[in-house]
Amino acid sequence: MSESGINRRDFLKVLGLGGSSLALTGCGNTDIRSGDEVIMPNVQPEDFVVPGLSVYYASTCRQCGSACGVMGRVREGRVLKMEGNPASRISGGKICGLGQAAVQVQYNPDRLTQPMMKVGSSLQPISWDKAMALLDEKTGPKSGIKGEEFGFLTGAMSGHLNVLTQNYMESLDSRNHYVYEALSPAISLAANRRVYGVDQPRLHFDKAKLIVSFGADFLGTGASPVHFAAEYAKFRKAPRGTLVQIEPKMTMTGGNADRWIAIIPGTEGVFALGIANQLLKHSEFTGTVPADIVDLVSKYDADTVSRITGVRSELVGHVASLLWEKTPSLVISGASVEGHAHGVQNAVAVQLLNQILGNVGKTIDGQAQSPFPQLSPAAGSFSALKAMNEKMGADEFKAVFIHGANPVFTAPSFMGFRDNLRKVPFKVAFVNALDETAEECDLVLPIFTAVEEFGSNVAWYQPEGVEITIQQPLMNQLYPDTRSMGDIMLNLVKARKADEYKAWPDFFSYLKTAIINIKPVVKYTDTDEHFWYDTLSNGVIHVDGAPQQVSAKFAATDLRLPASANAQDPVYPFYLVPSERHYFRDGRHANCGWLQESPDPMTTIVWDSWAEIHPKTAASMGIKEGDWLEIASQNGMLKVKAYVFPGIHPDAISIPLGQGHESLGRYAKGVGVNPFRILNPVFEKDTGELALYGTRVSVRKTGNSEIVVKDEGPVNTQMGRKLVVTLPADVAQLSKEI
Amino acid sequence: MIHRLLAAMFFVFAFSGMANAEPFKWGGPIGSQTSDGYNALGPVVQQPIEFPHYRHARDMGINCMYCHTGARRGYVSVIPRIDKCIGCHQSIESVRNKPRIKKLFWYWDHKEPIPWKKVNDLPDYVRFNHERHIQRFYFRQNRPVREVCGYCHGDVANMTVDRRVKALSMGWCISCHEKDHRENDVSMKTSHGPYECWQCHK
Repeated sequence: MSESGINRRDFLKVLGLGGSSLALTGCGNTDIRSGDEVIMPNVQPEDFVVPGLSVYYASTCRQCGSACGVMGRVREGRVLKMEGNPASRISGGKICGLGQAAVQVQYNPDRLTQPMMKVGSSLQPISWDKAMALLDEKTGPKSGIKGEEFGFLTGAMSGHLNVLTQNYMESLDSRNHYVYEALSPAISLAANRRVYGVDQPRLHFDKAKLIVSFGADFLGTGASPVHFAAEYAKFRKAPRGTLVQIEPKMTMTGGNADRWIAIIPGTEGVFALGIANQLLKHSEFTGTVPADIVDLVSKYDADTVSRITGVRSELVGHVASLLWEKTPSLVISGASVEGHAHGVQNAVAVQLLNQILGNVGKTIDGQAQSPFPQLSPAAGSFSALKAMNEKMGADEFKAVFIHGANPVFTAPSFMGFRDNLRKVPFKVAFVNALDETAEECDLVLPIFTAVEEFGSNVAWYQPEGVEITIQQPLMNQLYPDTRSMGDIMLNLVKARKADEYKAWPDFFSYLKTAIINIKPVVKYTDTDEHFWYDTLSNGVIHVDGAPQQVSAKFAATDLRLPASANAQDPVYPFYLVPSERHYFRDGRHANCGWLQESPDPMTTIVWDSWAEIHPKTAASMGIKEGDWLEIASQNGMLKVKAYVFPGIHPDAISIPLGQGHESLGRYAKGVGVNPFRILNPVFEKDTGELALYGTRVSVRKTGNSEIVVKDEGPVNTQMGRKLVVTLPADVAQLSKEI
Repeated sequence: MIHRLLAAMFFVFAFSGMANAEPFKWGGPIGSQTSDGYNALGPVVQQPIEFPHYRHARDMGINCMYCHTGARRGYVSVIPRIDKCIGCHQSIESVRNKPRIKKLFWYWDHKEPIPWKKVNDLPDYVRFNHERHIQRFYFRQNRPVREVCGYCHGDVANMTVDRRVKALSMGWCISCHEKDHRENDVSMKTSHGPYECWQCHK
């Protein structure tokens, strides 16, 4: 009892009463005040709009090139949520996180809402009338611009917008349509064409008992991650398939693998040939490849392979015996295999295993031939950007248009792209938000987002037949001063070919006519109008077709790999692995708060960039997590925090792509670093593509340190408690298992 | 209890009808309405148009759901779209020049939504489902619409601009959910409303 007469127990009682009365107040009357909020009823909504009730509309996701069919949940004329469209063979009714974030692109506070024109050194708002008059003055029929003086840079595009773009270029008599993707599949397509004669064979993950993936992050960033994830789920059902991943830095797919093997970047082809050498010793594989290849492969004994690749020699035989044992299998290659000077050779060496194992025709076959080749996607490449950059540097262009790409951000600094772009007298960007490239342009036109626009899309990876995914607006335009890219393109074509296009007042009517023309091919028997509305409500048109027969063809010359891929470099001892994050891709999605907040699947880091470094390397250099490092190549330096990560080769440093924006919006600007900047001019020698993984870097500790913001708990220490007893992989002798 | 409530409501109807055509126009001081035990009378809300509910619901005998079309279909009862108002009023010449109707046509001509103020508001963490209540009490129990809507909204049919007359608090909701209500008009079987938190707090 205290002097005041209240003891601790009484005090707690009083406090308890006070607390509960407060709680009761919380459950009772609320702070809602009548008349404080406003309800705005629709003036004249569509008949089917019932406030409070959601309606689902089919459309196409445009967040990446997979062209998944999606459904948008719409309430009171606003799109609120994206789901997969079960009618789509690509998405199978599923959707990924990147697709979900399409609504945040739509409601992004940094969207450009009116046309802008460069006045002096800054962009100033102007009206659409003035903008279109300027566009006409500089590039219209009366401008006198010649085809070779005009360039159009776009991202990968397909469907009818692509057709219109081609027609526009034709009307200008210009062959300067540059299709550019910073993370393009061009090297992979080239290797496929060389081996199979087609751009992209179809991969049957579900039919394989074993998948050996050389750096293919098919669950995160591959050609069609949502589809591949569904196929992968079937592959993992009983009898459970086995996944082996061989790559320099663990990707999300690598994190799912039963056996993950770290390899020196660029030596994956050597490892594949080492496995081929082991396999060809088995009598059942005799005669699967020509004698000169057998001869070439025989030089790759396990010790040689181990010396070049940095992988323990017994693992060569181990993976070979797994492949021998589990059939059919599927061997695939990905970006970290292809992004080298000898990228095509590396990828061809990986495909050689499929030929030896007899997978071609079992787990690999062709895609169906599209009856509408004009709708097929124009795949992007780096060489397109290079060609455009050279022409801009030589002052050959009077005007350029840029749509669907941000080359000022993604072009490596050695190209001097920004300076060359500044040389062009008239530059126009068609964008949703002001990015680094738009900031450099003379005229910036705000266009509809994917959920406001009509369109059609054809993905370059088709699981079955050919799927044309229809994009219909999920809501009306949010800002009155934005316009449809389709309408703009149609008007541009009309300015030059008025007679041919006079039947169509807008892109919608053009698309509708074009889609109705597909009706006979899909053997639809009802009226045109019914076909159109059925197509809109289904969201997809399926054109069935038998898969093309593919057979593999190999030449020994395509398998000549450099013997010194792992040459030591005393100044730049580390291999830079610029990893693609499945949420950011080439950086175009960085201004999305949801995606910034989504933890990286491997490191769980949010809102930042980091440099992954192996614990042994970190220990030898005295580096701890959070230490600021200077990662320098011949072409630049990045200051970035260290993240000590066991899932990386000790000679490699990995920095994720997509961050380091100087523009784009409040969530992207000033966050992290941009590894594109420091890439070296190393090119794939057959295709001329940028070798993304061919840059060597040095690492220097600055002495400063800062906390790394991440979701991950102390995984390695378990806070001193033995929650989960673990053993290192070599002690556990996993080789006996997987 | 329901009879007593009805009797009280009848009294209010009768009394207010005699005293004033727009009985709730001024209202009493906030908290003066105590007949159900919840001091609940809300403030007088200034609306962009003084909408005469009494003219439509009482004098014309229009069912509440003719305009509030969402009440039987979804969570929200729906403030009517403007073309709904115009649909009738373009044919009613007699009131065409009244100030309120002129204002209505101004919004219609300018294609602007009318910024109505919320009178019966709930916190964002409460999801009241109109459909469940209307389906049960109006359609299945076959009760008069003014009684069913009136459980929560009071005698709107005798008001000009709507005014909150019930507490719309959790305790007030529970006080009704505790009672046994007949499941429909032919059976004597009764059940009370749900108590689960998630029914309202989604």
